[in-house]
Amino acid sequence: MGVEDVFSSRLRMKILKILAQVGELNVSEIARRLGVNYNMTSRHLKVLEDEGVIKHKVFGRIRLYRFNENSPKAKAVQNLIEVWEHANE
Amino acid sequence: MSHYRSVFTDETKLDLNYVPHRLPHRDTELQLLMKFFSFLLQFPEKMAQRVIITGDVGSGKTVLSQRFGTDISREAGKRGINLHYVHVNCREYRGSLFLILHHVVSTFHPSFPKRGYSAEELLSILLQILDEEKAHVILTLDEFESLIEREGSDAVYKLTRLQETRQNKPQRLSLVCILRNLKAIEQLDTSTRSTLQSNVIRLERYSKQQLADILNDRISLAFKPLAVLEDTVSLIAELASSEGGNARFGIDLLWRAGKYADADGLDSVTPDCVRKAISSVVPAMRKSELTNLGFHEKLLLLGIARCFKESRKAYISLSEAEQFYAVICEEFNEKTHSHTQLWKHLQNLSSLGVVKTEVSKVGSRGRSTLICLPKISAEDLEKELSAIIEKERA
Repeated sequence: MGVEDVFSSRLRMKILKILAQVGELNVSEIARRLGVNYNMTSRHLKVLEDEGVIKHKVFGRIRLYRFNENSPKAKAVQNLIEVWEHANE
Repeated sequence: MSHYRSVFTDETKLDLNYVPHRLPHRDTELQLLMKFFSFLLQFPEKMAQRVIITGDVGSGKTVLSQRFGTDISREAGKRGINLHYVHVNCREYRGSLFLILHHVVSTFHPSFPKRGYSAEELLSILLQILDEEKAHVILTLDEFESLIEREGSDAVYKLTRLQETRQNKPQRLSLVCILRNLKAIEQLDTSTRSTLQSNVIRLERYSKQQLADILNDRISLAFKPLAVLEDTVSLIAELASSEGGNARFGIDLLWRAGKYADADGLDSVTPDCVRKAISSVVPAMRKSELTNLGFHEKLLLLGIARCFKESRKAYISLSEAEQFYAVICEEFNEKTHSHTQLWKHLQNLSSLGVVKTEVSKVGSRGRSTLICLPKISAEDLEKELSAIIEKERA
């Protein structure tokens, strides 16, 4: 997927911002913060995970998502968000 | 320009959550606790431990386990062992095993969701986390009674017999259970009880002298040099001792007394600051108690109040009080009662709890009765009594 395709979604950008702020979160909580349903949230999370930007860990029925610390893409996105947020302060 | 003066150098050292580096009169227990868990520093995966700490309110149970937690975590860190000490007050979590375990899991995953699974699932999630991170947890369950009360044997059994369901896997979770009275354990079934009761550390009540040592230790950390009078320490130790050897009560009282000293612009914390402080924490003497006293009991008590007001002492002798009493009798044109009668009045005041008395210790010549005014400030008592006596004579 091209970078323009990954970042063209407002919800995906919001997910990345949330994870940058909180560090780690389960699907239901991400959905609640986005104000959209579980399935739609899962779909966007899958796109980001397929690109290697985020990863998840399973604890029983719980899936916790976070940035993939081994991915250069993840580091770049985290940097972008941090710089952007600081500049807006 | 006004300067804010204070008797404190660092009042946070009197905070109830502060854990001092040194625990006076709890060295043996701390050593014992370290011994119980020494295997964790040598063979962390081979064993798990369960220890009970029991003792009255303010006997140092919480601070002992927190000191231990900090010490063992630091030692484990030096040896490259991933050890976490987690201290949970069960009452704060309403005795719920689920909420307690959620708190433990949150130390590893702070945003872990609070809904959608059971306590059993959470327990296996915790073990999964510990296995993945090769971590060990010493979980301290403070106010353990609360967990027993709410969850009964099942929850405790699950925690204590955890390893039996995962044979040949590394041991990850050790427990320290803190409770006031071992009787609470009797509510558990026999098998659960047997897994818990092997290692018990019983903390005895602090004596008055031990309380004074603890107070002096905190004073050196929290107050300016010489800001707390020796008599003040003695009075607080006496009061904390009468509260069942409650060090927490004593430390809190010390802080409050310091605040009263600051509010009055004093350079030192006097026994009267303690009296003011204690009337803010325990209900002060009821007016009816004073009204119902005999007339000469009131005069004697007024004498005691004036004597304390003029001195900065925690204790006065009966003969000192007698001199003030004689002046008051003259003021009211009353004939003074004899020493023996006054001694009887004093016993009555003492039995009502208005004053406290004790016989002076060896060293002074003969034996004399010492008086202490624990619950009300001398100033307030004088005002109250003067009003009652005036009213009576009008």
